[in-house]
Amino acid sequence: MLADAIRLRAVRMVAPLGFGYLGQALSSAEQVAALFTVARPGIDRMVCSPGHYVIAFYAAAAELGLLTPDALAGYGQDGSAIEAIGTERSPVLDHVGGSLGQGLSAAAGFALSDRLRDRDARTFALVSDGELEEGQIWEAAMFAAHHRLARLTVLVDANNSQVDGPVDTITTIEPVAAKWESFGWAAQDLNGHDAAALCRALAGAAAASRPTALICRTSVRHGLDCLPADSDGHFIKLPPELASRAAAEIAARLGRDGA
Amino acid sequence: MPEPPGELREPPYPVEVKPYGRALVELARSREEIVCLSGDLTRQCEIDLFQAEFPGRFVHCGMAEANMIGIAGALARRGHVPFVHTFGVFATRRPLDQIVNAVAYPRLPVRIIGFMPGLSSPGGPSHQAIDDVALMRAIPGMTVIDVADAVETRQVVAAIADLPGPAYVRLKRGEIPVIFGEHHRLSLDRAQRLTDGRDVALVASGMMLAPALAAAAALRGRGVTTAVVNVPVIAPLDAETVLAAARQCHVVITAENHLTTGGLGSAVAEALAEAGLGRPLRRIGVDGTFGEGARTWPYLFGKYGLSAQAIADAAWRALGRPGPPPAAAIPASPGGEYAPV
Repeated sequence: MLADAIRLRAVRMVAPLGFGYLGQALSSAEQVAALFTVARPGIDRMVCSPGHYVIAFYAAAAELGLLTPDALAGYGQDGSAIEAIGTERSPVLDHVGGSLGQGLSAAAGFALSDRLRDRDARTFALVSDGELEEGQIWEAAMFAAHHRLARLTVLVDANNSQVDGPVDTITTIEPVAAKWESFGWAAQDLNGHDAAALCRALAGAAAASRPTALICRTSVRHGLDCLPADSDGHFIKLPPELASRAAAEIAARLGRDGA
Repeated sequence: MPEPPGELREPPYPVEVKPYGRALVELARSREEIVCLSGDLTRQCEIDLFQAEFPGRFVHCGMAEANMIGIAGALARRGHVPFVHTFGVFATRRPLDQIVNAVAYPRLPVRIIGFMPGLSSPGGPSHQAIDDVALMRAIPGMTVIDVADAVETRQVVAAIADLPGPAYVRLKRGEIPVIFGEHHRLSLDRAQRLTDGRDVALVASGMMLAPALAAAAALRGRGVTTAVVNVPVIAPLDAETVLAAARQCHVVITAENHLTTGGLGSAVAEALAEAGLGRPLRRIGVDGTFGEGARTWPYLFGKYGLSAQAIADAAWRALGRPGPPPAAAIPASPGGEYAPV
């Protein structure tokens, strides 16, 4: 339910602009919903490494009453603090990246801080599969495993989408789970659109003795059948007519008014 | 000498798309040593055209800029001429150490092309290359170029092809204005005085040339004459041309789509000071702050003072003229909307 509510809000955020990072919200909706379900507000840390995904966190926060509808309406507009790519002004999250591939280091830093202060908290980070092309991700992965930052859990949104096309046509990043395992992490593949499975995996990772990477297999068009098959997953065009159909499709599933 | 009559168009300027991409393809037809590297921004950097024409010389490097620069350095050592493409932020900040050690110190002919300069990206501080000129200008032997229009963009490709050392070129993305006539010639050695004036020497680069010309026109209407100097090559700076304009004017204004520190304004300040030429200097640019995300870049140019009005105001006040400055504006830019990506 929360995942589809995120999708509906994301459609409505992108619609006034005519295009935007809707694909990121569609692929990560269940992961973000699961994070907001499992993370303890005010205690656990939440990091969004790929700043373009911040739309999904904004949508979830609005759905949960943490962000006002007025603030959400400013998404991506001139003069608004609710920017389309995450910045230091972005609300809701403990950290959001903008330049890709840097958020896992921040997450490892938060986990290290909690350990240094003997603070009982978890750190959750969303990382995209395209970001795995950046070397810094693997520097952070080695650091986290070496320092046994077991309270760190990463969701890798494996949507196989980057600007230039499917990730696997640009760089071979597979086998992803085996890479994380070889770097000293607990890792598993799972269906990234199965919210219940994601919640179970996130809860289960709390007891791990190593940091955990959940490789969430997803699609940038999930939950929106009306999108053309050739939509650019990184930056979906959403003209008014398509936006209306998209909102109606999701609203019907939620049993809400699509207008 | 001023540009010959007819070589400077009047606004509103027509626009072109992909002048860089077409010029690179054109040059690569006769230059087999040219290879094209892309950091996951192929269409945005206009090199989808190169990829279609020369797939064998096009290399996807993915989102891995440090590695891309290292690969380019080694290709250059083996006689290739790599043109490396991504946005200006990712082309300079991320792989700075690799540019220094794998390219600049060995003085290799790698051409680094950074799109979406300064606040022309609405994508926020992470996507706005407001410091790329400063970073590249600090590297020994790096040629640093910020061209003003589609005519210069078309010419810069061939102009840098045979430079013995590395070059960094920042290019606007999307719709590119055509400011110059077809006979305009880009020079890597000489800056160009475009208009004659005795009051204000106005030194501009890149996307700030159009506002500079508009400001000059507005000032002329109020009896202030302006020597507009176009500086496409910020390093090495053609100090002689800048100083010649400054000498015959009362004040010097620089205008750049970049921080006022480390770029064109700093280079001109250094030239004036070293020549012992005392002139009040006002630097128009991003003034000691980061930008922000927005929907459109014209909004950001207005908010952060990168406008014809900001230039006219600065000139008027620097001259100590009484009363309000003249109104200055360039006709609204064509509605080219694009992703901050």
